[in-house]
This record gives sequence, structure tokens and C-alpha cells, in this order.
Amino acid sequence: MGMGGWIVLGVVVLVILWAIAAYNGMVSRRNQMQNAWSQIDVQLKRRHDLIPNLVQVVKDAMAYEQETLKAVIEARNRAVAANGPAEASAAEGALSEATGRLFMLMENYPTLKANDNVMQLQEELTATENKISFARQFYNDSVMALNNAIQSFPGNLIAGSFGFTIGQFFNVPETEKAVPQVKLR
Amino acid sequence: MADPRPAAPRPRWLGPSAGVRVGATDFFAAQRANRRRTLVLLVVLTLIAAGLGYLLGWFMEADGRLPSRPGNGAFSIGGVLTALAIGAVSIGWSAISLAWGGRMVLAMTGGHEVAKADEPQLVNVVEEMAIAAGQKMPRVFVIEDAAMNAFATGTTSGNAAIGVTRGLLNGLNREELQGVIGHEMGHIANLDTRYMTVVGVTVGLVALVSDMILRVMKWGPGRSSSRDRGGSGSGGAGGGGLALILMVVLVVAAVVAPLAAKLVQFAVSRQREYLADATAVQFTRNAAGLISALQKLTAAAQPFAGASRATQHLFIVNPLRQFGSKASALMATHPATEDRIARLQALGRL
Repeated sequence: MGMGGWIVLGVVVLVILWAIAAYNGMVSRRNQMQNAWSQIDVQLKRRHDLIPNLVQVVKDAMAYEQETLKAVIEARNRAVAANGPAEASAAEGALSEATGRLFMLMENYPTLKANDNVMQLQEELTATENKISFARQFYNDSVMALNNAIQSFPGNLIAGSFGFTIGQFFNVPETEKAVPQVKLR
Repeated sequence: MADPRPAAPRPRWLGPSAGVRVGATDFFAAQRANRRRTLVLLVVLTLIAAGLGYLLGWFMEADGRLPSRPGNGAFSIGGVLTALAIGAVSIGWSAISLAWGGRMVLAMTGGHEVAKADEPQLVNVVEEMAIAAGQKMPRVFVIEDAAMNAFATGTTSGNAAIGVTRGLLNGLNREELQGVIGHEMGHIANLDTRYMTVVGVTVGLVALVSDMILRVMKWGPGRSSSRDRGGSGSGGAGGGGLALILMVVLVVAAVVAPLAAKLVQFAVSRQREYLADATAVQFTRNAAGLISALQKLTAAAQPFAGASRATQHLFIVNPLRQFGSKASALMATHPATEDRIARLQALGRL
């Protein structure tokens, strides 16, 4: 084999090594994204479990706020039934809005604010809301890393031949941004 | 120095997060700049250690203490070998320190581990930041001390721990606590314990070698070269003259190198603090909490008895000294709090 042959062989080996590295990079990014999604899922379930408890604890004291409580439960049930990132985004946004309104109304009930059980539930819900938004943030970062790898040249050649598809961002509906922050202390 | 590049517009993929304004923040650019500066400092530190080893080897070779013969000009096989030997010792020592360091730190600061039932809010906030960082949940410790401080340790994401003082828990609200924990989680995500362990070992080794050099020099030059070498070979008088010049250079280097290495260590430590601040903003998307926490920590400045020189760089604010502008001096592990706040404000555009 002549000099030219070796050069061609070297280039081919380099291209194959690059292709392996690019493929593995996409696999690990896809796994990270899926893992991040399951992390969101865990926190969403936690919120779905916490909300009925909170409603149960406050419903006697807040007898005049039946409408709000009903809205919270309905939003929660819709969120539980939601499927996939796009649908979940909308339902969870509505749920955040409903619980935000409930927290705001609870400010008017000093007995509730002094209740240890309520305070504990409120801290749990606040933490869970935060965890959801941080998990969403990490999920979106992971989606972007995967999409960048898939869509930019020459990675798109690998992605195309092995059937990698771009990830779906978890977007927050506009309404959630209007929700006032709940401050515990 | 602030990064001179204009801040990039906030990318759309960030998505709105938990009612937090970020504005035209670019914490990723801040992090890249910090990492670049750390790298430069690590190269400088390596050069100091290698240069000292090379000089030592060269001198020993010229002085006839090594079996190898001096080569032509400034190239010395003995010098290269000595520098490599120092490198090898540094790697071995670092590996041992990394394997044992974490446990020692926890024992030295005297905290006790807490579970969710003991400190629900603290554990929740740590969990939030672990999620934001994509890290495993670290162990959480509370130090029963009125001083306001926090630290992070751990050499892998598996053995990480975050500790806070009781004073900090009592004095900060949830948002501020989140900023502090975000900073500590930043140290864990950026592998700062690993960085500072390796840097500390190298600095210690430079000090050790310098100390050895100065001790050996007390015996005076040419102890072995004065031994009769029978005038054979090329060593002879030329080697002795070179040895004398090298000896002077070596003594100067032995005095200067530990100091220079120490300055680099402090500079690395300060860069990692800025980096952890920028990383905290990446996690929380909220510079205000950390700014407010730093202000409270500075106002409450009281030394924390559980800290020592060996662990001071781990804390969010220096536990041993006042954190005013004097702290911006070269011999500080932490930047002045005003400087940190100014950079955070630039990040948050608040």
C-alpha cells in the first residue's frame, strides 16, 4: 500500500471513530433527557398527591371558598389525566394557577397560617413546585443539548441514519407567569 | 475583571422559570471565563512545581549528586527526571487526599447529619438544587453554631455533602437559603473539592521541596563535588562553576516558589467562588436571593470556630477573617463580598 493508501485508511478510521463518538454522545444525551423527564414526572405525581391533602385540611376553615377548592381539585384531576409533555405542560400550568389562587386566599385565614399541618403542607407544595420548575429547567437544558447535537452539521448525518428525533421542550403556558410567588417567611 | 463581551440575549429555550426575572443574563459566559482563568492558573502552578523540580535536578546533576552527567546548555536529564518525580508524587498524594479528604472535612467542621423530618425546608431546598444541577442528592449536615456560614465537600457526585450552620438557617429566608445552597451545589457540580485538593497538594509539595532545598543548602555547595573525582570526565571545574550559579538561582527559587504557589492557590480559590456564584444563578435563575444572603452574611460577620486554614476555602464566605474589601488582597481564599455582589448584580441585571 502506498502513501496515499495509508492516508485514505487513516481518514476512514478517523471518520469511523468520530461517528462512534457522535452516536454515543447522542445516546447519552437522549438518556439524560429521558431521565430528566422522569424526574419531572416524579415531582408532578408528588404534587398530585399533596393537593387533595391540602384541600382536605383547609376545606372546613374555607367553607366560603368552595369554588376555588373545586377548581383546584378539577385542575388537579385534569393534570393527572394528562399525557405527554405538550398536554402535561398545559394542565400543570392551569394547576399551578389554581393552587396559586388558593394560597393567596389562605392568606386571609390567620388560623390556617398558624396551623402546623397547613404550614407543613404549604412548604411541601412550595418545594414541589420549585422542584418541578428546576426539573423542567434541567429537562429543557437536556433537550437543547440533544437537539443541538442532532440538528447541527455533521451530527445531523448520524442522527438521520440512526433515527434520532429531536426532543420536545416543556413549555410553560402564559397564564402561569401571572401567578404571584408564594412566600412562606 | 468583568467579561468584556456583551451579554447574549436570553435564549428562548431557558423558558420562564418560577417567577424569576433573569434579564439579559449570561451566566454560561461567566462560567466559561472562570473555567478559562482556572485553567491558566493551574498551568502556572504546574510550571512553578515543574520549574522548581527541574532546577533542583539540574543543580544536583551539575553538583555531581546525580549519576547522570550534565548535558549541553540548559537541557538536563536530571532536571527532567526530578520534575517528573515531583509530578508523580503530586498525583499519588492527590489520589490519597481525594480518597480520604471528604470524611476528614466532615469530622473537622463538627456537623451532624439531618434527615427530612428534622429540617424539612433545608432538605427540600437542597433537593431542589440537586434537581436543578442534575446531581445526586448530597448528604445534608447542620453545624450547631451561631455563625452564618455554609460549606460543600465531596470528590464525586456520590459522596458529596452540604453543611450549613444553625445561624444561617435562623437568619435567612427561603429564597436566600436557596441562593446559598445553589452556590454550594455549584461547588459540587464544578468539582471544586477535587480542584482545590489537587491544587493544595501541589502547593504543599512545592513548599516541601523548597524547604528541603534550603536545608540541603545550609551544608554549602559542592559537598559532593569537593569530593575528589580524580579529575576524570567532563564534570570538573566547569561543572562546579555551573553548580555555584545554579545554587544561587535555586536558593532564590526555593524562597520565591512557595510564595508564588500559595498566591496561585488563593487566586484559584477566588475564581472558583465566582464560578460557584455564577453557577448558583444558573440553577436558581435568581441572583437576588444569593445577593441578599451575601449581604446578611457580611453584616453578621463573625468567625466560625469550626473552620481552620485547611478548610477555609470550602465555605461560602471566609470563616476566619472579615470579608470586607481587605479580603480582595492576594492572600485571600474568597473575593471581597462587594465584588461578588457586583458581579451577581451584573448577571441578574437587578
